[in-house]
Amino acid sequence: MPQPDLAHRAHRLLSLLLACLCLAAPLSAYAFDLATLQQRLAQTPSLAGKFTQQRRLADLGTSLDSSGNFRFVRGQRVVWQLERPVEERIELTPEAIVNGSGDRTPPGGEQVARLFLQLLEGDWQALASRFEIALAGDAEAWQVTLTPKAKALRERISSIALDGGRYIDHLTLRTPGGDTLAVRLYDQHPLSGDAP
Amino acid sequence: MNASGERPPRDTAWRWLGWLWLGVLTLCAVWLGWMLRHGLPADTDLTALLPADRQVPLVEAADRKLGEGFEDRFLILLRADDRVAATQALGDALETLVDGRQLARVDWRELDLADADPHDWMGPWRYRLLTPAWQQAIARDGGESLVEPALRRLFSPAARPDPVADPFGLLDAWLARQPQSPIDAADGLLTLDAQGQHYSVLIGRLAGSPYALPMQQALHATLERFQQAHPEAQLLRSGLVFHAAAGARQARHEMSTIGAASLLGVLLIIGFVFRSPRVLAQLLVPLVTGSLFALALTLGLFGRLHLLTLAFGASLIGIAIDYVLHLQCDRAIHGRAFRLRRLLPSLTLGLISSVIAYVAQALTPMPGLRQMAAFAAFGLIGAWLTVVLWLPRFKLHASPFTARLAERWWRLCQPRRRLPPWLALVLALGLIVLCTLRLTSDDSLALLNPSPAALMHDEAQVQQLLDRDTGSRYFLVRADDTQALLTRLAALDQRLDRAIAAGLAIDYQSLGRSVPSAAEQDANLARVRTLYGAPLESLIQRAGLPADLAQAARARLDDAPRLTLTDWLATPLGQLQQRLWLGQTESGEVATSVVVSGARSAAIADQLSAIANAQPGVVYVDRVARIGTLLGELRRHTAAWIAAAMALMTLALIWRYRGRAWRVVAPPFGATLIVLAVFALTGVPLNIFNQLGLLLVLGIGLDAGIFNVEYARQPSAWLAITLSTLTSLLAFGMLAFSATPALHYLGLTCLIGLASVWLLVPWVRPREPASASNAPKAPKAHSEENSHA
Repeated sequence: MPQPDLAHRAHRLLSLLLACLCLAAPLSAYAFDLATLQQRLAQTPSLAGKFTQQRRLADLGTSLDSSGNFRFVRGQRVVWQLERPVEERIELTPEAIVNGSGDRTPPGGEQVARLFLQLLEGDWQALASRFEIALAGDAEAWQVTLTPKAKALRERISSIALDGGRYIDHLTLRTPGGDTLAVRLYDQHPLSGDAP
Repeated sequence: MNASGERPPRDTAWRWLGWLWLGVLTLCAVWLGWMLRHGLPADTDLTALLPADRQVPLVEAADRKLGEGFEDRFLILLRADDRVAATQALGDALETLVDGRQLARVDWRELDLADADPHDWMGPWRYRLLTPAWQQAIARDGGESLVEPALRRLFSPAARPDPVADPFGLLDAWLARQPQSPIDAADGLLTLDAQGQHYSVLIGRLAGSPYALPMQQALHATLERFQQAHPEAQLLRSGLVFHAAAGARQARHEMSTIGAASLLGVLLIIGFVFRSPRVLAQLLVPLVTGSLFALALTLGLFGRLHLLTLAFGASLIGIAIDYVLHLQCDRAIHGRAFRLRRLLPSLTLGLISSVIAYVAQALTPMPGLRQMAAFAAFGLIGAWLTVVLWLPRFKLHASPFTARLAERWWRLCQPRRRLPPWLALVLALGLIVLCTLRLTSDDSLALLNPSPAALMHDEAQVQQLLDRDTGSRYFLVRADDTQALLTRLAALDQRLDRAIAAGLAIDYQSLGRSVPSAAEQDANLARVRTLYGAPLESLIQRAGLPADLAQAARARLDDAPRLTLTDWLATPLGQLQQRLWLGQTESGEVATSVVVSGARSAAIADQLSAIANAQPGVVYVDRVARIGTLLGELRRHTAAWIAAAMALMTLALIWRYRGRAWRVVAPPFGATLIVLAVFALTGVPLNIFNQLGLLLVLGIGLDAGIFNVEYARQPSAWLAITLSTLTSLLAFGMLAFSATPALHYLGLTCLIGLASVWLLVPWVRPREPASASNAPKAPKAHSEENSHA
């Protein structure tokens, strides 16, 4: 059903334009809140692109670097296709993490998978039960910082930072031990239609 | 009190005996009151009914330990469209029960069951724990094949790689083989995802017994209120407390329907025949005193009482109603001409024949049957004494109506033809053949389970969703010390793994899967050292990590401690397995259970038994089958002893009645055969409970047979027989409508059996008055009566 969808988007774009014209710049930044950001991210139901992932290990003073491409279907799954240094297909769904050989690893991985999906979707309502969420910037260049509320979670994650514009561009996860997982997403484009 | 108003010397002696009996009963009551000051010392465990040497204490201990979780806690699964709000409402409502001290605690929020990360507390042990797959991989090529998966894992976005502590991910691989709780956290709630549905999980811990009525009522009311407020929410309940509450509710319901109907029926009949409410009270006095006497003596003899003994023993005392009715009918009709002396021989014979049956039972090696038999025998003797010593002294307003009714009823029930002995024999043989060909038996556990189907369905669904076993099948493993036990467990696990790989559709939970023996742990460490040779260097190089990392990783192996059973049971994961650990036994051994779940069949049971028998110190226990066997043993023993008692009674009766003995035994034996034949034809299986019902039929049938022959020409005897079968039918036969299987079978047997007794009696009534042996006595007895008058 492309017709109503198009009309819907046009209407949304128009109202956004109108808002921009009528309001002063600082005010428009103020009006940009988490709900708006979530809506904006939700406009792309499925997405593909490339990634680089750098895991810095503080103790060793070294890092594990990898790269590959990804496909993301909102509310369903993200497929993380590792190309270097090893080939591996990892599929994260709200239920589990499944690797290339079809094994569910690691045990209890569904929690991590769910967090990862919620971050990519910008599902702030779900995240708000566990994180303090702060938003800065505007629609074209925003930054979101998440800080765990519970002590148990703070022992594993000290903070998560997301930034981007139309899409999420960077995801950075810091642990109390000083390790960092930095993921850069680039060459992103919406997938044609809603099909995965 | 004395109907005649005169006091001949023998009557005075009788009177003294009456007072003496009152003294005995008072003593019983006082002693009982003192014994019961802390409540009734009652057993409910079925196995307590079995011979002591057959009870394996360790099996009992394992049963108890595995059942604990079911008894002291409950679990509710909630499914609703508005799951979060509904769960919040129910969780808050249950929390108020915690505040009211009805429940110890309720877990339902995300963090209620949060454990620390296993990576934190399993850390130092990981180098000595390897899965069989990894052991084989290292044995094959030194672990080269493990490099590629480790590399993938290092670069997964979801992993938390730690190249120094665990470059290969030993711990993750090992944890994947450990039992995981299917309960998870989502939306801030404990959640179970199964079959495409999200269920909220609420786990309650009871503060006291699951049988505590106030707690049951509070919990029930809370859940009812919740369902009314959230009609769309679906609740699945699991836990003994729900079954206990349903049982209590059902008992209350049946008491107010079946019980009330029986009582009303008895009241109407007795009121109609005797036209006096007093008779009803007099009907109860022997039953109450008999029960009191039986309770005191049985408790004194056995020290404890099984609830089943109490329930069925009390029913069997119901036979005593016969004595009352025969006495009262005779009094009502003869008025002042009534003499106890004339009735005494029959009453005594009735008592003796019933007591013989119970004494025979009391000689069985089954403590349960002995208790029941003792209780019933003492109860009958007590009731009989009350009837004989007290009842004649109670005032009875003899209504002329009773005599008229007896006369009319007598004429109405004269059959045109009598049953010739040869025909009776042919019919009996026919029924016996039918029974041997068609009769089946059932000793399943379901007989003891009074829970409604909906609750059983809930329970099964919860078990299935949680992928949880009920702990009803397990291996019991024993050894001299913990290390020997762990070695035995490892061997058993290996056999089971092989059988599962070969297609055995089961799963199992074993401490051996979590804690290898010390020797095995040392061997594992040696394997890990091999893995940390060339494969580790290859991994580090391909991951682009600094080469000196290998040295740091190897250093971790140097002081890797062994995982002991005690260590493991104290970890959050190990706590889930504490129900398996039985610890030190009385004989100084250590023991554990290995719980089996999954498919059930006779073939699987055979295979599991064979696996157990192949190893010393291992036995396979199937709780359900075991209870079935116990019930079957109880049933066969009862049947054998009933048959023996019947033979013994027949001999005694032949000695007294000679050629007429068959007329005495025809009602009880005929009714028994009819009941069995009806069961055979309709496919009702024979079980311990309908056999206990047969005991009641036999007792009442025998009394009817004796009085029928002794007083063949007396309308009062026929009226008494009618009343006694009718009231017993109302009291016990109505139980056929109970939803509790045990009561239903008892009732059904009484319903058919007592009706058959009543129908058989007129057909075998002798044409001539009394038997030859009785004839010369009659005038003598009459003259004695005259002398008293």
